[in-house]
Amino acid sequence: MENSIEVENLTKVYNGKVKAVDNVNLKIGKGMIYGLLGQNGAGKSTLIKMLTGVIKPTSGTAKIAGYDLNHDSLKIRRITGVVPQDLTTDGDLSGKENLKLVADLYDIPKKDALESIDLLLHMVDLYDVRDRHAETYSGGMRKRLELACGLMNKPDVLFLDEPTLGLDVTTRSNLWKYIRSIQKEFQITIILTSHYLDEVDELANELSIIDHGKILVSGTSPELKKSLKGDIITVHLKNDSEFEKLKSFKDAIDIKKIETGDIRIKVSNSDEVLPELMGFLSKNQISPDSINIRKPSLDEVFIEYTGRNINAEQEKPDYAKLMMGRR
Amino acid sequence: MGGLIPLTIRDLKRWYRNPVSAVVGVIQPIFWIVLFGSAFDIAKFGPAGGASSAFFEGAPDYITYLMGGILTIIGLFTGMFSGVNIIWDRRLGILQRFLIAPINRASIVFSRILSSVARIGVQIVILFVVALLIPDGLKIDHGITAMDIVIIVSAVLMISFIFSSLFSIIAVRTTKMESIFGIVNLINLPLMFASYAMFPPDLMANWLSNVAKYNPVSWSAQSIRLVIIHGNLNGAESHTVLIYMLGLLALAVFMLIITYVVSNKEIRE
Repeated sequence: MENSIEVENLTKVYNGKVKAVDNVNLKIGKGMIYGLLGQNGAGKSTLIKMLTGVIKPTSGTAKIAGYDLNHDSLKIRRITGVVPQDLTTDGDLSGKENLKLVADLYDIPKKDALESIDLLLHMVDLYDVRDRHAETYSGGMRKRLELACGLMNKPDVLFLDEPTLGLDVTTRSNLWKYIRSIQKEFQITIILTSHYLDEVDELANELSIIDHGKILVSGTSPELKKSLKGDIITVHLKNDSEFEKLKSFKDAIDIKKIETGDIRIKVSNSDEVLPELMGFLSKNQISPDSINIRKPSLDEVFIEYTGRNINAEQEKPDYAKLMMGRR
Repeated sequence: MGGLIPLTIRDLKRWYRNPVSAVVGVIQPIFWIVLFGSAFDIAKFGPAGGASSAFFEGAPDYITYLMGGILTIIGLFTGMFSGVNIIWDRRLGILQRFLIAPINRASIVFSRILSSVARIGVQIVILFVVALLIPDGLKIDHGITAMDIVIIVSAVLMISFIFSSLFSIIAVRTTKMESIFGIVNLINLPLMFASYAMFPPDLMANWLSNVAKYNPVSWSAQSIRLVIIHGNLNGAESHTVLIYMLGLLALAVFMLIITYVVSNKEIRE
């Protein structure tokens, strides 16, 4: 398959200290939806900003539709569309005026622009409110306007940076619908960053897990799930001494404690191993609070490669309790 | 420079749709003229106004004398605040949309400068009309020629261009609104008072008058003043105006080049 994007050793270091993106290499095929999955601060947005020419890489390069990032920035900006994580439309202008402004910035001939604006406004269901100032739109409407702006130049490559962040469930599923239909009808390459596992699982043809600026693993969702080579049994124990005992359970492929404090046991087949495990727990007088069996999911893939749950915070004292306990 | 016109139009739309900022921008200089200009009646200086009027280039009243200074100061203030708008765009996230677009990035900055300059054009007209209408206001006895208008308008526009360029360069990398307000507050006073905008050089302490000589605000104020008070300029007056206008032009061209280079290379989200 022809590659739409080829990223080579791309690195971004802020102020000579913070490595936001660390030696990233990627190949993204033409016409696919490619997911970049990672927690907040993993480096997804920095990577997108480099690929869209908003910030300059510290080192490395990339080719987008054959154009070199370091030399053809203007050409790349002409053929890419971007829906940034933050709102970038002007609240003092109407929805239609915002699109008109974007059309002018892309030098789109007036007649073509007006036709596209009408179509896009219909597509994102903003036609009826097209003359209202964007600042009066709801969060979901603003995000849909952003999507329309990103499509105004009929891009070959579309970057969607956390497109559904902060949106309600209905708006989110509507945006998914637009994204799917855009890819299906126009065969454009879509790069989607998200920290929502279900979103990436649902939309992306291929994905990479990014953490601390590095790509940890890439592949299709089924491939990554398959790479786990087994099922996961999660056990919540009362204390660490029980964990020490559990470590000697022989039928497990791997046993480790994850950030939430749960013990994650990887087994080849949970249906067969579970009775063995129950016997082992009872023999060693380990009485867990809960036992959870999960077939491979993207969630488990994320934990496997990063060592933590995508929604987990760093382990820290319960500050809320400490604070309120001072009453 | 792709993007310059649409971005300038967008900025002007925001200005005229926000009646508060548009009206305040016009009323403030009117206060200067009406209150400051009338607070100080130069006819009351010295016997029969004769000796004192010479200090004021022979102006019949202080408003007529002050007009060049006020027009210059409007240019200066509006220019200084154009940098603020760049920071606003950055903080609101709108700047990112412009950085993504296939435009020369200098046009993001120049559109701000251009719209400031256009707004001043409107302010000049309103201010002239008000100054002519108020009692003991602006008096132009000799009539006004097309050349006079060209000198007045271009002096104000050049001052505005110079200072909006300067503050846009500062705004290109600044993220904090407070920084730019701080700088504006810090330098507007010395720029205004270490110049011939409000008072004639002969009334100033010698050291201040020497400093004011090199202030572009003086060049603009004095050029406009000579045109308003004298009209048909004699040889020496024409020479003075020409030197001042060339000085402003040189500074404007210098700022144009610096702004182009800096904004194209350095503008950040």
